[in-house]
Amino acid sequence: MTMAVKIAPVRKTIRVNATQARAFDAFTSGLGRWWPRDHSIGNKPMKAAVMETRLGGRWYELAEDGTQANVGRIIVWEPPQRFVMTWDINSHWKPDTTISSEVEVRFVADGANATRVELEHRKFEQMGAEAGESMRKDVDGGWPRLLELFRTEAA
Amino acid sequence: MTYVSALAALADPTRRQVFERLKFGPQPVSVIARGMPVSRPAVSQHLKALKEAGLVADRPEGTRRVYFIDPQGLGELRRWLDQFWDEALAAFQTEVERGASDQESKGK
Repeated sequence: MTMAVKIAPVRKTIRVNATQARAFDAFTSGLGRWWPRDHSIGNKPMKAAVMETRLGGRWYELAEDGTQANVGRIIVWEPPQRFVMTWDINSHWKPDTTISSEVEVRFVADGANATRVELEHRKFEQMGAEAGESMRKDVDGGWPRLLELFRTEAA
Repeated sequence: MTYVSALAALADPTRRQVFERLKFGPQPVSVIARGMPVSRPAVSQHLKALKEAGLVADRPEGTRRVYFIDPQGLGELRRWLDQFWDEALAAFQTEVERGASDQESKGK
């Protein structure tokens, strides 16, 4: 039997007193209302975390000076059940599209007015493996601004 | 050793290859180095780096030493993320439940 190299995911579950639809909306379009300001990955004071609520949409941080720092991109969008996003943050906790892990959040109705929210942060093994290939894509005309940000950060 | 160095250790393609070779189980250096484009001492150096990063562990087996993937690898990153997501989800819970009670009090 073959076994892929895999690093155990981080899993979290909480139960909230809200309907599935409300929980999903509050988590996604309402992200800016609750995302802790000190959970910032940008290098400037964060004004709010923003999620573009659609497939391919971004999760980014809006700094007080109006600049943005991308956290990830939505790759599965199934409201109000679940979404999956890339988490383009490197091991120094800075934006870096060359390094992606993945975050899935599921919303499971638990009675009439409660929802179980299951979060899984996984694929950490990609953080080393994909660096080479993604780097090429970026150089080929990907996200130059972000790469610039990373360069500044890494310098 | 922090998780930062653990991930940095995996970013090197050759080291990554050495690491991948351990996925079928514990191996001695001689087997890991077979067919690799780098010398056996170089493979030993990569194993040392992986060991220092907490990704690989070793143990004596007879007269030789075998290396294997440390199942607790990246434990520090996991512990850090554990707390990160705990705090984020707690903030989410406060917000969504506050929102829900506001909604009820408005009679919607």
